[in-house]
Amino acid sequence: MLFRVVEHKWWYFLVSGIVIVPGLVFLLLGGLKPGIEFKGGTLLDVTFREAPTASAVHDVMASLGHEEAIVQRAEGGRLLIRTEQLTPEEEVKAERALEEKFGQDVERSSQTVSPSFSGELVTNAFRAVVAASTLIVLLIAFAFRQFGWGAFRYGIAAIVAVLHDAFLVLGIFAILGYFLNVEVDSLFVTAILTIIGFSVHDTIVVFDRIRENLKLSAGEALNPIINFSVMQTMVRSLITSFTTLLPLLALYAFGGYSVRNFALALLLGITAGTYSSIFNAAQVVSLWQELEDKWRGRGRGPRPAAA
Amino acid sequence: MTGLGPWLVALVALIAIWVDIPHHQFDLPFGCPGICLRIGDRYYQQEIKTHLGLDLQGGTQLILRLQTEKLPAGSNTPLDTLNEQARKVIDRRINSLGVSEPVIQAIGGDKILIELPGIADIEQAQKVATQTAFLEFKVPDEANAGQFKSMDPPLTGANLKPTFVTFEGQASSNPVVNFEFGSPDDQRWVELSKQYVGKQVQILLDAKQISAPSIREVFSSGKGIIEGGFTTQSAKELSLLLNSGALPVPLEIAQSSRIEPTLGAESVRQSLIAGAIGLLLVVAFMVAFYRLPGVVAVVALAFYTILSYAIFRLIPVTLTLAGIAGFILSIGMAVDANVLTFERLKEELRSGKSLRTAVEEGRKRAFPSIAYSNAATIVSAGILFYFGTGTVKGFALTLGIGVAVSFFTAVIVTQMLLHGVIEIPSLRKRSLFGVEERASDARRPEPRPVGA
Repeated sequence: MLFRVVEHKWWYFLVSGIVIVPGLVFLLLGGLKPGIEFKGGTLLDVTFREAPTASAVHDVMASLGHEEAIVQRAEGGRLLIRTEQLTPEEEVKAERALEEKFGQDVERSSQTVSPSFSGELVTNAFRAVVAASTLIVLLIAFAFRQFGWGAFRYGIAAIVAVLHDAFLVLGIFAILGYFLNVEVDSLFVTAILTIIGFSVHDTIVVFDRIRENLKLSAGEALNPIINFSVMQTMVRSLITSFTTLLPLLALYAFGGYSVRNFALALLLGITAGTYSSIFNAAQVVSLWQELEDKWRGRGRGPRPAAA
Repeated sequence: MTGLGPWLVALVALIAIWVDIPHHQFDLPFGCPGICLRIGDRYYQQEIKTHLGLDLQGGTQLILRLQTEKLPAGSNTPLDTLNEQARKVIDRRINSLGVSEPVIQAIGGDKILIELPGIADIEQAQKVATQTAFLEFKVPDEANAGQFKSMDPPLTGANLKPTFVTFEGQASSNPVVNFEFGSPDDQRWVELSKQYVGKQVQILLDAKQISAPSIREVFSSGKGIIEGGFTTQSAKELSLLLNSGALPVPLEIAQSSRIEPTLGAESVRQSLIAGAIGLLLVVAFMVAFYRLPGVVAVVALAFYTILSYAIFRLIPVTLTLAGIAGFILSIGMAVDANVLTFERLKEELRSGKSLRTAVEEGRKRAFPSIAYSNAATIVSAGILFYFGTGTVKGFALTLGIGVAVSFFTAVIVTQMLLHGVIEIPSLRKRSLFGVEERASDARRPEPRPVGA
């Protein structure tokens, strides 16, 4: 079995495009909804034995002066109520009112973030992403330092693959946010950074193999070597991702409501990371080489005539 | 591998298992739970137990911000000092609540993190953490009848001795808070009574009047009482607040979260189930796919799980929901190094090498990839730990520890086991390594690329 992974690169790029572009559209439409951590406010998470309707809960909140409350029903009698920042007194008052109306609640949790602090959290998240990206680029540069100037294209290709994975997850969460009000929190940012790390590590394994094969067969054309290297590492890539996806699937299915979106982001990102390391990363290197050859070819073309 | 290696690994495994066993019932000579060290005068003791985060055991967490902008102009106490003073005051207040293992930490210069396990009453938590408890005594203002003014300098509760509650009045039914000024404020208190005898003074807590008693006679000492229509409860609370001292700076809640203990227990149950199922799936897959090396990987994975958990208990790492997620994720990553090695091993076997050479070559040639990929994950985990707060830190810590431990188990332990396994004659079958018997080798295509 030998796929022509390099020759068909445009098809693979197309597949990526088809999956990513719709997400990008919703990203631009503002589909990515910040959770209360990133915009401030209060999230009440109340579970009743019998869940009342969202509108009934909203009425109670409105009667307490929290007209802005957004009520969402989750499984098992669970209700998520999002409001502007509540003081502890207001919070307890709201809970008492809900209890009075809908009966004793079973359990609850709440989270409040002041708007000024959420600004700080956004800055922190942003900083973490920038720092992680910078360090990852340095790590890639270090891994391919022996390639000399050629390392540059490998670094760029690895970064393209990482961006591919990050934007795929961002896009899908933008779609989920747009239609289902799924919000992103610091755990989501954590997931993205983990995906970046994972994706880079997948890509490095492929590139490492290319490096080894280039050394073994100096003077060969690049594309067949890439093809062969990708094939050699493909089983490993698929299995590694698969063994990572297995526990994540368990986490998604059984880990409970609070980690479900986190597990989903990781599932999507790691799947994307596997795809991009097999079907995108090395192909970008190949494309770079082809463009360079073409450019050199043209550059050389007129010269003899001029001479 | 030296001859000593396997013994060391076995020793590490035994220690890890010992650490993992809950509730040590046997006492070491010191008679303490967990680890106790005494070197000279230094004494180190640490109880070994699993620390659960608030989201798993229930409780309240507050992040408080020092409102330095509300300090009177010209006050120039450094932020760190204010933070430390505030934490001390809060610590005293929490201690008297009897919360077990509270957390009071500075985060950044201007914030304080407070965790109160088991306390789900957010109003109480807020009172403890944010009530300034600034007591001031004001005297009648001659310029404005009926008004009170601060003395110069203000007479505050800063210099009070420990207060206590007694009961006065008919049938001792009226709780009052007894206070006594320390020197030199006791002299000022006596002076005040001389100056304003027969008049009302005002006692304020956090700029709110709690009582306005009339001074009936000249005091002989710095003692006094506050009566403000207290219940026994509220008198005790006030006494406690005064004894803990006033906060040096007003605090506001930047973030609060609270989880009821039942909800936490449910999360623990769900995480355990998810973790167990995830682990089983990985085990089943590895054995089915890699056969004998797969079994070796499973042993390494078991070692990995035991060792990581022991490290969590020893450091100790506070396990949160996100932390457990990180750990579950690292299970999948832990087998990555094994997969890399085994794939190489298969390749080497197919290219006609002997088992022993193939195992050695597989290790050597898979190592750079393993090192880089682990480094990439540890770098991301390190960044998350550095920039993250709360949940994110927990995730980064368990993921980072997980990857570091897996580096040890997947590289050293797996290799040791593999080397051991291939010395057993009945296990030296290529089919057990998922590779065809040698006869088929000749039919395999050349493993290196030839030509363009």
